[in-house]
Amino acid sequence: MKKWTKLMLASSLAVGVLAACGPQDEGASSEGSSNEKPEKLIVWEDQDKGKALEAAADKFTEDTGIEIEYKEYNITEIQENLALDGNTSNAPDVVTMSHDGIGPSVTKGYLQELDIDDETKALYTESSMDAMTYKDKVYGLPKAVETTVFIYNKDKLAEAPETMDEVYEVSKEAVQEDGQYGFLSTWDNFYFSHGVFHGFGSYVFGEGDDASDIGLNNESAVEALNYIDKWYDEGLFPSGLLGENASDVMSGQFNDGNAVAVQNGPWAFKDYEENGINIGVSPMPKLPNGERQGTYMGVKGWFVTSFAAQNGTSEYAQQFVEYITNAENAKARYEMTAEIPPLKELIEDEAWVSENPYAAAVMEQSKFGIAMPAIPEMAEVWEPMATAVSTTATDKAEAQEALDDAVNVINQQIEANHSGN
Amino acid sequence: MRKGIPLMEQVYKSNHRKIATFLSVIPGLGQLYNRQILKGVAFLTMTIAFLVSFWDFFAEKGLWGLVTLGTQVPRDNSIFLLVYGIISILLLFFAAIFVFIVFRDAYKNGERRDMGQRLNTIREQYRNLIDNGFPYLILSPGFFLLVFVVILPIIFVFLLAFTNYDLYHQWPAKLMDWVGTANFTELFGTELWRSTFLNVFAWTLVWTFGATTCQIALGVFLAVLVNQKDLKGKAIIRTIFILPWAVPAFVSILIFSGMFNETFGAINTVILDAVGIPPVDWLTNANATRLALIFIQTWLGFPFIFVMVTGVLQSIPEELYEAATVDGASALQKFRNITFPLIMFSIAPILITQYTFNFNNFNVIFLFNGGGPSVSGQKAGGTDILISWIYKLTMTSQEYAIAAAITLIMSAMVITVAVWQFRRTKSFQEEDMM
Repeated sequence: MKKWTKLMLASSLAVGVLAACGPQDEGASSEGSSNEKPEKLIVWEDQDKGKALEAAADKFTEDTGIEIEYKEYNITEIQENLALDGNTSNAPDVVTMSHDGIGPSVTKGYLQELDIDDETKALYTESSMDAMTYKDKVYGLPKAVETTVFIYNKDKLAEAPETMDEVYEVSKEAVQEDGQYGFLSTWDNFYFSHGVFHGFGSYVFGEGDDASDIGLNNESAVEALNYIDKWYDEGLFPSGLLGENASDVMSGQFNDGNAVAVQNGPWAFKDYEENGINIGVSPMPKLPNGERQGTYMGVKGWFVTSFAAQNGTSEYAQQFVEYITNAENAKARYEMTAEIPPLKELIEDEAWVSENPYAAAVMEQSKFGIAMPAIPEMAEVWEPMATAVSTTATDKAEAQEALDDAVNVINQQIEANHSGN
Repeated sequence: MRKGIPLMEQVYKSNHRKIATFLSVIPGLGQLYNRQILKGVAFLTMTIAFLVSFWDFFAEKGLWGLVTLGTQVPRDNSIFLLVYGIISILLLFFAAIFVFIVFRDAYKNGERRDMGQRLNTIREQYRNLIDNGFPYLILSPGFFLLVFVVILPIIFVFLLAFTNYDLYHQWPAKLMDWVGTANFTELFGTELWRSTFLNVFAWTLVWTFGATTCQIALGVFLAVLVNQKDLKGKAIIRTIFILPWAVPAFVSILIFSGMFNETFGAINTVILDAVGIPPVDWLTNANATRLALIFIQTWLGFPFIFVMVTGVLQSIPEELYEAATVDGASALQKFRNITFPLIMFSIAPILITQYTFNFNNFNVIFLFNGGGPSVSGQKAGGTDILISWIYKLTMTSQEYAIAAAITLIMSAMVITVAVWQFRRTKSFQEEDMM
């Protein structure tokens, strides 16, 4: 046995010595000091959108001599893949991402601040540029904007109503008939109900995305939730519209011609048209208090990664980002992918607006839209707010009580998950 | 055995065994000393090859990384270092086994020399290896693979539970650190975590026992019923009962999820309506969702039990029943004293796997209502079981470390229960039942 203890001692000593070694420091890493022109830039593009990138990339190569090598990923997987490919020679210089990914990505250190001049910034709508900004730093340039709009069945409703009161009347009348509905929305999903909450004057995070100030249980929030509850209580929204599959249920009813109108995003247009619905699209109607609905807005953008900085290619990566988001390339992109670029000159272009009524309606709504907060704390808001709406709608709690609960959980979650930074 | 040693000591004529063992500090030298040239060179080459190819890996990444988890970003990626570290430990473990074999071999052969015995020739050594070592030789590639595919991830999760890997400690912005048992303290020390964990755990147990017992009871009941001698059309009846099993589970679950919709689903609008029961809020009331889930799992799970029990029933000898009839036993007594014990004897181990399967049955929970409906005041949904909660923690809130801690607790429980149960079942004991 003594031999064994000696052996163990010797081996653990050896392991200890090895563990103490570690990699040699190569001094300060030569960070981005070389301004040499790189041979190629690696770009990660959204799935099935690569063809829209190709034309612009070819021209860029012609102008600068830098090859563009692109790879398509589902836009929701890009963050995960950055974690794996970041260290390797496959690390991308430029990636596309939704703006709500900026906060987590900056926290994890994936993104590089951009140096954009005012002239370039002025090309895009203010709200979309705001979305690209995180903690007063600009991280990207906007590529496409999405927000929810009022989609109605033109065969049932001649003209888009101006106010929610009118919509309410339409709904009241529609539900007289069994199995028929007026306006439907999945308001237990906070993405869709934010417009109402915001319109009544409540807010998610305080000024400058201050997560210590949550305005979801103040008086205006209660008012908003009571307004939402009214739609459920009076049977205008069926309770089957709550929960996990609500969106499918809603679209199903609209596709079957059982609903007059729905609130949904541009991604739904195609589905409704294919189901033979003669759709019209307009901005969300005004709330009873005369306010516009500040619907949540998602902005996809182009970003330069921190790996580009390590490779010394960030200057050219930014150049490429500016190039593909310029007016000409953005318009070409819209033609090919139907993703709506938040370019100022497009909204002001009368001809374009009349030719593209759906896109114009989305653009119009996006002017009132609020960019989803990009801070990581936002992740804690969805679930409690869904609970608040659905418990109120199913009469398990009063609005004030439900919202107090929700804010309580949000605060606890933020405390538990986001205080360690 | 030990008693023999001093006696044998007197037989030794020299000290070769000690010298050979000592020389084996450099693997191969002992064998060379014993004049087993080929073996010695082979061992020496393997040692050198191992050191040359892995030294840098151990020194620069593996063990150093495992201890420090990196010191400087973006050069060091803690997660990668952790994996390298585990690989190093595994490789060193293999190396230790190798070194042990080398020492033992040197000692044994030295001892033979000390006792004046002849050493095996190369041909004999080869025969020896093939005859005695054959099973090991065949098993070793698979075993080696298994270590890296199965053991490595298990160690990885185990270690992860003691780090602070979450959204705020990720490469390239930050390194992660060892935090000891902080994750467990947080899990049981903070009110929100603790109440969520206890609620989810309680429902997981209810779910496991409720759903599994229901599916077993229904399966056994139907199998016994269909196995009645004078029943006609057995083939067709059996085919129909197997159908729920034949349809892919996820399709059934999604269809059920539609059927249970409160306003539009067939359950409320057709079935309950026909009986005159008011609509039930299946998807927004946690208890109703739980009931629906147990029902669905019963539906999905019973055909398997049904098929298995049918097989067992057909193998029970008819004489047992005849004898029972002669003794005047009732149908119930026959079932209790003959049929049921024999079924349990054959399928008890499989039933336990059914329980552990449902304990981790992610599909039904996730596809039916996404773990919902949401319950206020807790981090998980009303029907989330541990495994679906862990999924949410990792996929939506990136709480990897805490999720790993919960996984640890969960696996410990499943393993304990499974081992304990397996050892108690009759099929695992030696005695024969029949």
